[in-house]
Amino acid sequence: MLQRKRARLAYFLVLPAMVLVVLLNLVPLIQGVIVSMQNQNLIRPNPEAFVGFKHYIRALTLDDEFWQSFARSVWFTVASVTGAYVLSLGLALLLNLDIRARGLFRAVFLIPWVIPDVVTALLWKWFYSDQWGFANFALLKLGVIQIPIQWLSDPSIAMISVIVVQIWKLYPIMTVVLLAALQGVPKELIEAAKIDGANAVQRFVNVTFNFLRPTSMIIVLLGCIWTFQSFDIIYLLTGGGPADATQTLPTMVYVKAFWSSQLGYASAIGVLILLTLLFLGSVNLGLERMFNRRSDGNG
Amino acid sequence: MSKFNMTRRQAVALSAASMFALGSRGVNAAGEAELSFWTVRLNTPELQAALLPLLDQFMAENPGIKIINEPVSGNQVYPKFIAAVQGQQMPDVAEAYSYHPLQFAALDQMEIMDDMIADWEKDGRLADVVNEFAYKKFFWKGHYWGVPYNADPRAIYYRKDLLEAKGIAPPTNWDEFQAAAIALHDPANGVAGVGFPAGDFHITQHFYMGFMFQAGGSILNEKGELVFGSEKREQNIRALTYLTDFATKHKVTPEGIAAWNTDDAHTAFVQGRLAMGMGTGRVIGQIMRENPDMFEKVGILETLQGPEAKLTAGFYNPMFVWKYSPNIDAAKTFIRWFTTPGRLAPIYAANPGQHWPIFKSEFDTQSIRENRLLGEMLTKVIPYMTDFAYPGTGIPEMGVIDGEKLFAAPVNEVVVGVKTPEQAVDDAHAKMQEIFTG
Repeated sequence: MLQRKRARLAYFLVLPAMVLVVLLNLVPLIQGVIVSMQNQNLIRPNPEAFVGFKHYIRALTLDDEFWQSFARSVWFTVASVTGAYVLSLGLALLLNLDIRARGLFRAVFLIPWVIPDVVTALLWKWFYSDQWGFANFALLKLGVIQIPIQWLSDPSIAMISVIVVQIWKLYPIMTVVLLAALQGVPKELIEAAKIDGANAVQRFVNVTFNFLRPTSMIIVLLGCIWTFQSFDIIYLLTGGGPADATQTLPTMVYVKAFWSSQLGYASAIGVLILLTLLFLGSVNLGLERMFNRRSDGNG
Repeated sequence: MSKFNMTRRQAVALSAASMFALGSRGVNAAGEAELSFWTVRLNTPELQAALLPLLDQFMAENPGIKIINEPVSGNQVYPKFIAAVQGQQMPDVAEAYSYHPLQFAALDQMEIMDDMIADWEKDGRLADVVNEFAYKKFFWKGHYWGVPYNADPRAIYYRKDLLEAKGIAPPTNWDEFQAAAIALHDPANGVAGVGFPAGDFHITQHFYMGFMFQAGGSILNEKGELVFGSEKREQNIRALTYLTDFATKHKVTPEGIAAWNTDDAHTAFVQGRLAMGMGTGRVIGQIMRENPDMFEKVGILETLQGPEAKLTAGFYNPMFVWKYSPNIDAAKTFIRWFTTPGRLAPIYAANPGQHWPIFKSEFDTQSIRENRLLGEMLTKVIPYMTDFAYPGTGIPEMGVIDGEKLFAAPVNEVVVGVKTPEQAVDDAHAKMQEIFTG
């Protein structure tokens, strides 16, 4: 009886949080799915007319722009997350050593993370400027290049330039998380491996990385989700150009919804982004289970 | 006669309900008509400092109306208005981008403004408007859906000192402009012949549009039908080729213009890196603030005479009223007051060059007489300004064509070398067609 009362009290206490979660997450999600199946073209009458999967069929079978943007989103995500992970792993290993001013370095490396995206985009736009940007200035002065590089206006370079910015934005949080995981690696295991004759690479691969793997999978998954839906940096740096070279799905959704007034179509693309990310999450979960089973088998 | 009995509690409840009912129908507890007024282009600190006293003045002169101003950030304009339409929480009155009234009219959200235009005709204001397209652009399906309150020109600025040093007169037509850009290009001294935004941004299409009109091209015909890549294909290709040749053939622009947005072009000119630069009216204020020594060395070119016409692209920004506002009459009273010639002088003065009058009678003012560049813009550019839908009146589809940057893309694609002008125009036309048929 007492237990039931306590359970009721617990439900009552979590009710406000549940209401908030439903109102702020579930309702917009359901609304988004509903809108994706409605006409919702703001220059056409009857916006709430039901059109079924028309917008989905258009995106998946008729609109080249969707698949081109999807491919760019995948490239942007894979390159950014890989680059950020490798960089942050290196930094985390370095900051885990007993070096001088370690605390200061840890704070400094966090700076890009706390800078708002809009400011980040403006800083890098200045950095990349062909006329007065620091990147070209430094490379010209050092004699590395003879003419300024068109970082943001050359279609073959623009995406790489944007990826560099995304790596800069992503690596601090990855570093912090990996560093925390590194500090949980038992020193005695590393010592034991050393005594058994394992070199530094073998110790890292067979001992340290085993402990980092679960954390790495989570941080890589989160990095992929954040990057795949990243909008501000690309939109502010290039607007999706030059010649659509940096147009990804989130920038396409923005243009279709708010400039093109096609709310229904934009919502359908939004739902497809959600499904892609759910798929990515499932793959991650599957891999994690597979590794866990292997570990259990080995154990 | 029946006796009406009411307890104290019922009386309190009835009063509260009446107050709520009054409030919810746009009338506040003081019995004033309460107008929500969303502003999109009047939100910088200096413009707000000029606007708020005007609103106070209106309320003092119209004691029955209270204005509640809500600035809407430029980045949030579409999301906010769209959410407002969905939730039926539109402002009673607003000033915003030029295609908003027609897009919202297509959604049955706009109050017809024919009576206001008729009033303007009666009191002579209509004849005083600098260009008839300023109000005709809001005419669609037999009605006016908004009235203009300001002009927003696009101009070509030039360095008088550099032209004089080379003995070149300010160009007035395409051939002279091209020759001047080539002659003035001086990369050794860090000065490019001409600069314009060619990034994948809205501003890029504004300058292409000017050259398009000058070549006899357009996006629509007089009936509002799409002719960009059909009847007007050759003219539009000619304009695109002429503009992009500065970057690809003559190579007299800075290398990176394919990533330039509005501010990049403005800054390059104000910093002295361009002999001639294309920009909005804001360049004037930027010169005055950031490089005042340059002011006397700068001029504004007369609108170029193209092969077919002497026209330039520009905007006339509207005020409009929500059809379901409980205070439509008060909203129109406010717009009539706000658009009275001479009323907005403090706004024009707040940031010189950002907002421009639409009435000819406002051109000869003290602040304009004291600022040579303002005067040059008013005489050399604004009289030749027309809008995207020219030679037709506005249609909602133009808002989408503009919004999707469908005619910025050709400039960007040709400058970066991924398409020829012919391919770029044809591809843009195909995308525009989807909007008309979709």
